[in-house]
Amino acid sequence: MRRSAHILLNDVRRHVKAPWAILIFIAIPLVMTGLIGVIFAPRTEGSELPPIAVLLVDNDKGLAAKLLVSSFDVDQMKEMFQTTVTDEADGRKRMAKGKASALVVIPEGFTLDLLEARPVTLLVVKNPAEQFLPDIVEEFMATMAVMLSGVVQAFAEEVRGIRAMIDGPIDRIPWETLGPEFGKAQKKIAAAAKYLDPLLLRLKEEETQAAGARPRITASHLFSEILPGMAIMFLLFIVQTLMRDLLSDREDGKLRRMMTTPLRPIELIGARIAGGWIMGLAVLLIMVAFGALVFRATVGPFGTFLLLAVAAAFWTAAFFALFHALVRNRNQAGAVAAPVILAFSIFGGSMINVEAMPKAFRLIGILTPNRWYIDSAALVRDGRFPLVGLIVLVASGLLFLALAVPALRRRISV
Amino acid sequence: MLEIRNLTKSYGDVLALDRFSLDLKKGEVLGLLGPNGAGKTTLISTLAGTVRDFTGTVSFEGRNLFADRSLKNRLGIVPQDMAFYDELNAMDNLLFWGGLYDVPRADLKRRAGELLELVELAGRAKEPVKNFSGGMKRRLNTAIGLLHKPDLLLLDEPTVGIDVQAKVSILEIIRSIGAAGTAVIFTTHQLAEVETTCSRIVIMDHGRILAQGTLDELVRIVGERDIVEITGEFPAAAFSEALQGAGAGVEILSVADDHASLAVGATEEIPRIMDRLFRGKVAVTDLKIKTPGLETVFLKLTGRSLRD
Repeated sequence: MRRSAHILLNDVRRHVKAPWAILIFIAIPLVMTGLIGVIFAPRTEGSELPPIAVLLVDNDKGLAAKLLVSSFDVDQMKEMFQTTVTDEADGRKRMAKGKASALVVIPEGFTLDLLEARPVTLLVVKNPAEQFLPDIVEEFMATMAVMLSGVVQAFAEEVRGIRAMIDGPIDRIPWETLGPEFGKAQKKIAAAAKYLDPLLLRLKEEETQAAGARPRITASHLFSEILPGMAIMFLLFIVQTLMRDLLSDREDGKLRRMMTTPLRPIELIGARIAGGWIMGLAVLLIMVAFGALVFRATVGPFGTFLLLAVAAAFWTAAFFALFHALVRNRNQAGAVAAPVILAFSIFGGSMINVEAMPKAFRLIGILTPNRWYIDSAALVRDGRFPLVGLIVLVASGLLFLALAVPALRRRISV
Repeated sequence: MLEIRNLTKSYGDVLALDRFSLDLKKGEVLGLLGPNGAGKTTLISTLAGTVRDFTGTVSFEGRNLFADRSLKNRLGIVPQDMAFYDELNAMDNLLFWGGLYDVPRADLKRRAGELLELVELAGRAKEPVKNFSGGMKRRLNTAIGLLHKPDLLLLDEPTVGIDVQAKVSILEIIRSIGAAGTAVIFTTHQLAEVETTCSRIVIMDHGRILAQGTLDELVRIVGERDIVEITGEFPAAAFSEALQGAGAGVEILSVADDHASLAVGATEEIPRIMDRLFRGKVAVTDLKIKTPGLETVFLKLTGRSLRD
């Protein structure tokens, strides 16, 4: 036991004095997590969309046109749209430069045509570089068109009376008869006003709590989901590198020298496996701590997560103990380990989301530590205990260990 | 102190040790000479406990060397490989390797300091070993084997591939260790090292001892005859044929195409030998006369020079 601890401490000292390989393996998953997170995370926290830039051209200047333009400034519309009123030439120039999602052109005579119940056309120019923001503007304008049509039809009788009276020259307007007509309209307006100010119909967002529903993805959620996959993949690489000493010591004569001392083979095997386990765990915790600090990635209850990390590091150390007992030399280990780890990572969900995989791939994924670790980490994040994942990792780790120890003993007894 | 009896080890069909027996006393420095494949490293590895499936017995102070693991604390090994961690410094390496023996930590630190002085590495104790020259690494390799003050030290070609200065230093260490009472066995290809360092010399080949004794005792094996080394352009068979019946005073020690070694009773024999070779159409381009030494003994016993 004393000699095992002595070897383990020496291994730690050696890796601390020459830390670059491990530091690179720690840095790569963090950088990859950062890059994936930055690329795919929503730009603004807590809001689904950024404000939609809309250019408005009012060639009419009439009442209906003003109503349409001001509709963009009402309540929630103000949060959704960022409007700029301009002329058509400037508007088209800005659109050509991609400065807005859409350009809305209100044609000349828009109000009069509406009042006379003549068909009228609103022009919406969309930015082809954007996927759905221009469509939102288009939908909004279509809704406004329906609403304005409804208003015109509701006030058709009053509009006709007023139009007939004001169609003639201004000095011939029968001002005395306008009062009753406006009076009729005023009653309807007053009745409508209580529905319009404040708006009776308001939008409220709510999400269902249906089974399987996932919380809205934020940047921190995304990092939390990506990091476990990256961490387990590079944990495999790191532990493989650390445990390669089992072969390199044999190849360069250090193992032979060790065996000339009172050291027993089992003490050496124990030291190497414990070293891979403990150093792997430390590296995993460093990655997670760094992810939490830099990306605000969460792991859930720390005690449960620590249990999972211990199990994952144990599995990895036991697996590579067996792996190094079976491969012939250091070069073969290096050549075989990388494809094995990459296969684990691809099928296990470190690189591709498991849900996006064909069923057969998902089934293969069950055989990988990545899948169990990633799924268990998700459960821990949700505050649940990953019992099955822990059992699978520990039990398969014990099996590997049971196979590895006698195989390594045979190899070490030179 | 050490008794080796009928030690036999084979690798497949190759017999590396063939009923090898040897006794070693306390403080004795034994040089093990032999050509490549003679079984020197197998002997060292077997004594070190890193070779299995052998027959024979080895007892150390009357106890079976391989049955009692604690005896390993009394055995020091300096392998041919530079077996230490390059990324660590010399002091850390000494503390690590020494820590595998049952040496108290405080004693180990003091001992490591003393050894660094002894191998002249004290000034570079904190420097990573990867920066060391080949000679410095060899000295460190030797120091590691001495950390726990072994009673028996086994060195497998401790001076191979290093400069003269480092070689002298290591040989001096071996001499001083022997003088202090440690029994030493070391293998080498260098006759001069054995001549200057060892109190006893063993010449072995094909896993067996061919001769053993002090330098004087061994030289007596070849007698007072001079050694004549002849080079030229001739087939080995033609050379042997030309000297057939040359007389009792001439003995062919070794012959190969274009090179041969002879032992001659007196230098007066040489013109007669040259005459025979000339008549046998053996073209000689060079001839060297040497007085008898270990090399002569080795040549006579193995039929090969140590270069082979």
